[in-house]
Amino acid sequence: MKRFATMSRRTALRGLGATIALPFFDSLLPRAAAMAARPMRLVFIYAPNGKHMPDWTPEVEGTGLQKLPPTLKPLEKVWEHVVVHSGLAQRTADPGTDGPGDHARAMATFLTGVRPHKTSGSDVRVGPSVDQAAAAVLGKDTRLPSLEVGCEAGKPAGTCDNGYSCAYQTNLSWRTATVPMPKEIDPRLVFERLFGDRTGPDADVAVAKRERDRQSVLDFVAEDSQQLRRSLGGSDRQKLDEYLTAVREVETRIRSAQPATDIGQTKLTRPSGVPENYQEHARLLAELIALAFQADLTRVATFVLGNDGSNRSYREVGVAEGHHDISHHGGDPVKFKKLSTVNRFHVSQLAYLLERMKAIPNGDSSLLDRCLVVYGSGISDGDRHNHDDLPVLVAGGGLRGGCHVRHRANTPLCNLYLALLDRVGVKADRFGDSNGRLPSLSG
Amino acid sequence: MQVFHAFKSGPGSNVMGRGRLALGLAIAMVVFVGIGMSLFRPLYRADNGMAGPTSESDIDGELDEVPREGKSPSFTAEVAPILTQYCAGCHSEDHAEGGFVLVSYPNDATAAKDTEVWQRVAAMVPSRRMPPAGHPRPSQKELEVIAVWLDQAAGRTVDPGRVTMRRLNRAEYNNTIHDLVGVTFNPADDFPADDSGDGFDTIGDVLSVSPTLVEKYLTAAEAVVNAATANPSIWKRITTPPEQDYIPFVLRGMPPQRADAVKGLRETPDPEAATRAAEIDRAYYALQAFADRAYRRPITHAEMYRLMRFVDMSINRGEGPDEGLKLALKAILVSPHFLFKVEQGPRTVDDAVSPLSDFELATRLSYFLWSSMPDEELYRLAASRKLREPRTLIAQVRRMLKNPRSHALAEQFAGQWLQTRALTEVARDTVLYPGFDAELVQAMRTETDMFFDDIVKEDQSVVELLTADYTFANERLARHYGIAGVSGTNFRRVSLAGTGRSGILTHASILTVTSGPTRTSPVKRGKWVLENMLGAPAPTPPPGVDGLKDDHAVKPATIREQLERHRSRAECAACHARLDPLGFGLESFDAVGARRERDGESPIDASGLLPDGRTFRGPAELAAVLAERPEDFARCLTQKLLTYGLGRSLKAADWRAVDRVVRHAARNHYRFSSLIFAIVSSDPFMRRHNQPEEMR
Repeated sequence: MKRFATMSRRTALRGLGATIALPFFDSLLPRAAAMAARPMRLVFIYAPNGKHMPDWTPEVEGTGLQKLPPTLKPLEKVWEHVVVHSGLAQRTADPGTDGPGDHARAMATFLTGVRPHKTSGSDVRVGPSVDQAAAAVLGKDTRLPSLEVGCEAGKPAGTCDNGYSCAYQTNLSWRTATVPMPKEIDPRLVFERLFGDRTGPDADVAVAKRERDRQSVLDFVAEDSQQLRRSLGGSDRQKLDEYLTAVREVETRIRSAQPATDIGQTKLTRPSGVPENYQEHARLLAELIALAFQADLTRVATFVLGNDGSNRSYREVGVAEGHHDISHHGGDPVKFKKLSTVNRFHVSQLAYLLERMKAIPNGDSSLLDRCLVVYGSGISDGDRHNHDDLPVLVAGGGLRGGCHVRHRANTPLCNLYLALLDRVGVKADRFGDSNGRLPSLSG
Repeated sequence: MQVFHAFKSGPGSNVMGRGRLALGLAIAMVVFVGIGMSLFRPLYRADNGMAGPTSESDIDGELDEVPREGKSPSFTAEVAPILTQYCAGCHSEDHAEGGFVLVSYPNDATAAKDTEVWQRVAAMVPSRRMPPAGHPRPSQKELEVIAVWLDQAAGRTVDPGRVTMRRLNRAEYNNTIHDLVGVTFNPADDFPADDSGDGFDTIGDVLSVSPTLVEKYLTAAEAVVNAATANPSIWKRITTPPEQDYIPFVLRGMPPQRADAVKGLRETPDPEAATRAAEIDRAYYALQAFADRAYRRPITHAEMYRLMRFVDMSINRGEGPDEGLKLALKAILVSPHFLFKVEQGPRTVDDAVSPLSDFELATRLSYFLWSSMPDEELYRLAASRKLREPRTLIAQVRRMLKNPRSHALAEQFAGQWLQTRALTEVARDTVLYPGFDAELVQAMRTETDMFFDDIVKEDQSVVELLTADYTFANERLARHYGIAGVSGTNFRRVSLAGTGRSGILTHASILTVTSGPTRTSPVKRGKWVLENMLGAPAPTPPPGVDGLKDDHAVKPATIREQLERHRSRAECAACHARLDPLGFGLESFDAVGARRERDGESPIDASGLLPDGRTFRGPAELAAVLAERPEDFARCLTQKLLTYGLGRSLKAADWRAVDRVVRHAARNHYRFSSLIFAIVSSDPFMRRHNQPEEMR
């Protein structure tokens, strides 16, 4: 249950408090040293319900910006790493002949550039998403090919946006056209996936035995599935293939994953669950992403600050109304102000992650220099539900930042993704509805 | 067909000539049991009078499986003129509203062949979803003509549909593990949330499997087996083979090949070898019994052979049989046969449509009513092929509904249908609603759960859901409702007399989930009533026109006034004329479901209007108005139950099944068990199409 409560700065940082080392890393030091080549990472962050665009878009193009627009203000300390991209569009989210359902489409298309098949139940189809395209290459050697986290779970009841299955509105990342990568909400579970069973004495021995057992269990079920598969047809076979692919992937991962990189002492303790406070929750997840990158447990992450259409209220920053309710502002200046406040609050979570990564050394630079961060929404104006001139920015990755680029109107967002994949060394000539590659990620 | 006639003229036929015989069942029985099955005769029949249900035995054990009564109408002479008058305006080739076109046919026979068109008409027209409100509608008599024609002429080919093989969802996984192993923790709480479709998380198509989930399955299997090992009584139960195997030998396929090794051991004089043989035997039969239950069908000899490799391996390693047994148990819990509800039907049947196997039927039943695996009684009935006998089936439905496990219907089905599960996500402004806290939210959820469970366990009429003059409350909730004399945290049955409340429409849980953080939302409430009580899809807003403006020169005093203005905009009017007036009727309750006389400074106006033009004042009257047409409400509930129980979206071809459930329920005072019995006896529930849709 999420209720409002006033909170002090102290509460916000609880859970990041005590210092406990993660002992398993020490034993892996020598091998970690062999991993000298510093890999590139990617993280995609999604914020729901569009933005109040006048407070987001910088007044001038290029680097000559005197003052950051109100929504981007929290990025002041890392502005030199940030490039704002205006004019990009995700037209596959337009209604077309599918009618209403812009929130579901906004979320489903943001990383895919594929028009989702409109269905409430059967035959869900959209992806794959760009993070998964990257993970197929970057994630080959890491314990987890990719990490999916978010601050908001799926809807516990009721139908979703105007005839779209909830799968479209809760998943940002799609492994294939039909298999979404569900996000982890609970920081404790993220922690356990990353480090959990690898702490404590005898961890290595226990892990080795467990992985041997897992191998034989997975061999058995793969054989089982093969036999079953022969007697199935159509969608049944497709479902089983989903399962079998996942089984094989876990198998491969157990067999060939590289050990984690030593990160020494960390201040993070095992989180106890989902914090009631939104900011505390978001920061804990950001912290875990940074740690996962630092330890090289994964190189690709997606982070959902809220599902599109989310009606969460942000009492922490004085907005009691639901976010979706106020995003239908109808031109009301009071609602503009509240929207802007929520937008800025989301951006400050991004700022936290960027600052955090900037503080983590990586070779002769920082983790931030080796990590490209995309932040944005699949809707521009929450009242109009338009999917052009989207609020999008790219940060880190050694980009020359501190600037604002405006692209020709309706340039596909997927053109940016092609440039992004290029930069992290993943070959692709087309992605989603791309019709070219952005010549550069910075100005 | 012959069988059908034979039954009809036998002692089973009834005087009214309705011949309520289960054609689908008859075919199924021929396939399975042979013609020798003659116990098919009518059970008990309810009066058609209005008296309430009296005893358990008066539920009708048969279904309407023959066409509606009445002379078969002529399409060209009787049906076509009605369609021309009411439908052709929008569904002509020129307008093609909703992409649906009605054309004229040269004669009756040609018309009847156009089954796809008639399935859609059948899904929309008799349930009054079409023509839409505000347009002239056929009279009851005209509707009856259409319904009879549809039933007799069109849609003769019955397509029971095909459910995509679905995995267990989180609740089902937890319950199944409890029932299968006996551990009490909930491993699936750590799984990623299940996606839902059509409002339910049982829909096979949207329940996907990601690598993350497979990792969690592995972790959960390890945790479950470790917990079982650590508990001596559980471990003893699992490792002690049952006295005898009641599964007919033939159901296990080809005989085992492993016997040789054991035989070799047994025949040596070495006592150590004999002990080892006994140990292997024990492991074999213990695993077989566990796998039978885990796979919800007899495990085959061939499968056992492969499972025993784990045991062989650990013996060869010198770790003893138990290590291998544990690993085999883990493997079972990660196997697709455990994680998915696999349905293949009897493999020998080449027909397009075939009945589910007895075990598959038991599985559908138990997951529908219990969200868990079949218990031993169901399992034995499936093994002896008795489960699909109507008399057995109705007894099992009753037994299962009385069983505490049927609480899953309240928690999982009603929690999603009524959306009370969404209470966990509800936030309220603590300044506006100072009393709103975790304790109250919990009480709200408990009230609706207990109330629904009471309807199920007491087998009451489902109309009571709308009109009950009682509910369940503890002190906290009673205070919220202004009911005196309830103290303590325990819930008990209380009267709603004098509170202005009646049935679920006035439960605080529902009034809360249909409101926003700072105010009520008549639009959301109207949409909720339309979708979940009337089964009519709510109209959807065009982009850029929804949302309330506050920028008028004179601020509107109430939400109602704001919405009235909203509706004065032409582009909003058409849809909101259906939504808002329904929600207005609930305005006498605030955003946390407390009674109120005023919204801000202004008095509440709780007068409302239904899409069909009937008016009401306040929620109790709305409930009463809805209850005037119990068949509409029962149809809506049937559609929801069928979607949830089958785990797939309903299709136009399902209208016949839905229609029959409603008619059966109507004859049985809408008792909850009569809906359930009719649903589980229906074609879509009992049978499946052998061809995937895309390959037909």
